[in-house]
Amino acid sequence: MKEDRRADLFESLRSLLPVLVILALIALVPLFSPSNRFLSLAISAGINVIALYGLSVLFGQTGILSMGHAALVGVGAYAAAILARDFGIGFWLALPAAALASAVFAMIVGIPSLRVGGHHFVIMTFAFGQLLAIVLTNGGDYTGAATGLDIAGPVTLFGADMTDLTRYYLMVVAFVTVAAVASWAIIHSSYGRTLRAIRENEKLAASLGINVGRHKIGAFVVSGIFAGISGVLLAYFLGHISPSQFSSFPSIYLALMVMIGGARLIEGPLAGGILVAFLPEVLNLDPVQSRIVYGVCLIAVIMLLPDGLIGGIVRALRAAFSGKPKQETEDCDAAEVRQ
Amino acid sequence: MSPILAISGLSKQFGGVTALAGVDLAIEEGEILGVVGPNGSGKTTLFNVVTGVHKPSGGTVLFRGQDITGLKPHAISRAGIGYTFQQAMAFAGLGVLENVQIAGEHARAGGTANPWPTPQALLDFVGLSALGGEKAGVLPFGSLRLLGLALALATRPSLLLLDEPAAGLNDRETAALVGLVRQLPGHGITVCVIDHDMKLMQMLCRRLAVLDFGSKIADGPTEAVLADPKVLEVYLGGDL
Repeated sequence: MKEDRRADLFESLRSLLPVLVILALIALVPLFSPSNRFLSLAISAGINVIALYGLSVLFGQTGILSMGHAALVGVGAYAAAILARDFGIGFWLALPAAALASAVFAMIVGIPSLRVGGHHFVIMTFAFGQLLAIVLTNGGDYTGAATGLDIAGPVTLFGADMTDLTRYYLMVVAFVTVAAVASWAIIHSSYGRTLRAIRENEKLAASLGINVGRHKIGAFVVSGIFAGISGVLLAYFLGHISPSQFSSFPSIYLALMVMIGGARLIEGPLAGGILVAFLPEVLNLDPVQSRIVYGVCLIAVIMLLPDGLIGGIVRALRAAFSGKPKQETEDCDAAEVRQ
Repeated sequence: MSPILAISGLSKQFGGVTALAGVDLAIEEGEILGVVGPNGSGKTTLFNVVTGVHKPSGGTVLFRGQDITGLKPHAISRAGIGYTFQQAMAFAGLGVLENVQIAGEHARAGGTANPWPTPQALLDFVGLSALGGEKAGVLPFGSLRLLGLALALATRPSLLLLDEPAAGLNDRETAALVGLVRQLPGHGITVCVIDHDMKLMQMLCRRLAVLDFGSKIADGPTEAVLADPKVLEVYLGGDL
């Protein structure tokens, strides 16, 4: 029994290793003196990835899709900006405060929305996302209306100024690492198992003593914590935030990133966030073209790679190594084991 | 001795349709009770109301003397009532062993001594130990039924409600299931089975209750109930 558990722990630690190696490599990028434009894009991608790790708990584990997730990021960002402006509260204290604000907002949205199932929840989150954008736009001086708010506070760590682009990049990589490990820990806990049970069959889960409603709201709140932290990093990185950043399109992008990367795998959010951020850059696309490409990617992923890009790669590798194409059922086995 | 489950005056209306019309039923500790009745007689509605899937329109359900009427499904499960579904189900995308692990993690604290202290022991009991590493979704139907039983048992119930547990099973699988269910009272688990398969009920139950149009029309020793003219009329039709 004890040895079983140790073997399990070893097995699950092994699943974390590839992500940690990739993140370590990503942290070495500044050694190659990348352009400021590259660093900025990478920082934006990293900030998204943090929110995506929360979304992977919600969508990948619990099976609930939020189409208003940027709103939760926005609550975090505005909380940071307002706390700095009105109370002189800086970056580090804003992190837990904004995480709390987003978590509370998630709960307020989640309690009525999660009473309705599936597609209705998607529409509810979409509506709440739009609602937040409208509220922020009409919030007068308090929210800065359509222009938004400036946030000018310095970010320091042990006395060092972190606003320098390279330093901020490294700090975001560290936050992404924490988010990845947190998401991994949730997936491999009994809590994660409970969430997967709800994803697989709510009726059966309830019959086994699982409080389905409470856990669904809980998963939404957890994803809100990730989103809130992502929002603080975004606000301090950009120095200016406005309502349109947190409305429907950014929300759709977040959902798209997690689907393209693969919501159930620990590598998925990282891959999705990086891919969607750098694809237009690599292919040299203008915003309209890139939207078209994203749309095509999403359709392709949904139709061809239900486990997302990373799930597809894992499947291809397995097929290549075993020398024959695997059956469908064993494919999802691969996905599950690698969690 | 007071019954483990005491249902009194339980009724359920769906719009204008009366599915249960004031049913009284007592399940005694340690027995295997069968509830039979033709399709649409209210058997499954009775289960659904007791397990909290539907709210009753009237009446009460006492479990070990405590009022559990209208509690949510998860609360009913935690109170110590396990149940399986007419449609065999498990968490298809998860492993067989993981299924049983999940089922055991939300069981009520304390309760009766656990005859199956580990998920593996429970899989041994239902005869699925060789399949622990498989995905539940790939199990053949008979094994899926057994896994459903294991999941309900993992919640450590003192009362187990089985809704057509042998539906879709072949004779060999049915015999295996009957063998398992018969052992349950010996492990301190009272069983209530609903089904319309009289052969199965005769194998399992010493006592039968018969429902027809949402009312109980007979309740007693299996042989006596099966000889009851009212029951024969329901099953075989009245005078021709």
